Amino acid sequence: MAVLSGTGAEVARFSKDLDRAADEVFSTMAGVRCLPVESEAAPERETISAVIGLAGALSGSLVLHCGQRAALRIAERLTGVAPESLDAIVRDAVGEMCNMVAGAWKGFDPNLASGCLLSTPTVVAGSSYELFSQRAPIRIERSYSFEDLTLTITIFCELPY
Amino acid sequence: MPATKVLILDDSSVMRKIVERALRQAGLDLNRVLEAGSGREALALLEGEQVDLIVSDINMPNMDGLEFLRQLQSRSLAPGVPVVMITTESGEEHVREALAAGAQGYIRKPFTPDQVRDRVLPLLALA
Repeated sequence: MAVLSGTGAEVARFSKDLDRAADEVFSTMAGVRCLPVESEAAPERETISAVIGLAGALSGSLVLHCGQRAALRIAERLTGVAPESLDAIVRDAVGEMCNMVAGAWKGFDPNLASGCLLSTPTVVAGSSYELFSQRAPIRIERSYSFEDLTLTITIFCELPY
Repeated sequence: MPATKVLILDDSSVMRKIVERALRQAGLDLNRVLEAGSGREALALLEGEQVDLIVSDINMPNMDGLEFLRQLQSRSLAPGVPVVMITTESGEEHVREALAAGAQGYIRKPFTPDQVRDRVLPLLALA
């Protein structure tokens, strides 16, 4: 995990809520635990990132990033069918998982539940890309493991006050 | 429980399949499942099809689920058919807004088949 910046209280609370959200969503929808780990995933050639925009009481984005193996497994867990490549179904599945984690995360805070809106998912997949979020004083990056596969969820955000 | 014809509206094909599976696991005998990836597509389907239940996402591009509900009512499509919203939005204001727009039920993602059963079956019994 790498907490880069932000006020201590918000970062701690957001991190804890993110851990809860990830495990709740994976447990409920995919039938597997998804728990924080210190290590990051071994690099894979093909990776995928799903981005959900946050606006209103909090501005920023929530990004779910993983390698091809984890992405294929997420899609299989959600659909019951094992895909063979990072196709449209896999992109859809990862996007929806990110969407649900974002919704569950903000739902733990009454102010964010009502006052922070989510965008529809944007998904990027490929072998060589980087995501940047400008003007994000708070950045929380957490690694999680499910079925010996690893993914990373990052919250970039700025509080309005 | 008689066989049910359901329309599932969500811009995610994966989520449509998940909802269908949850409805079946909840005990619904699904006679026929119609799917729509957009509000416009759903309205067009309902011009020519009768359904017993509509399950709709809220957060979709172009026409969101609330606008779909308003169009459903203004065009008198599917009168008396229960509509359940399934969404990541969890605030009480969002629930009130959906119910005010005409939804009869509201399920937050992530959801279990039991939660789907508890929300949907009573509505079908009343319809």
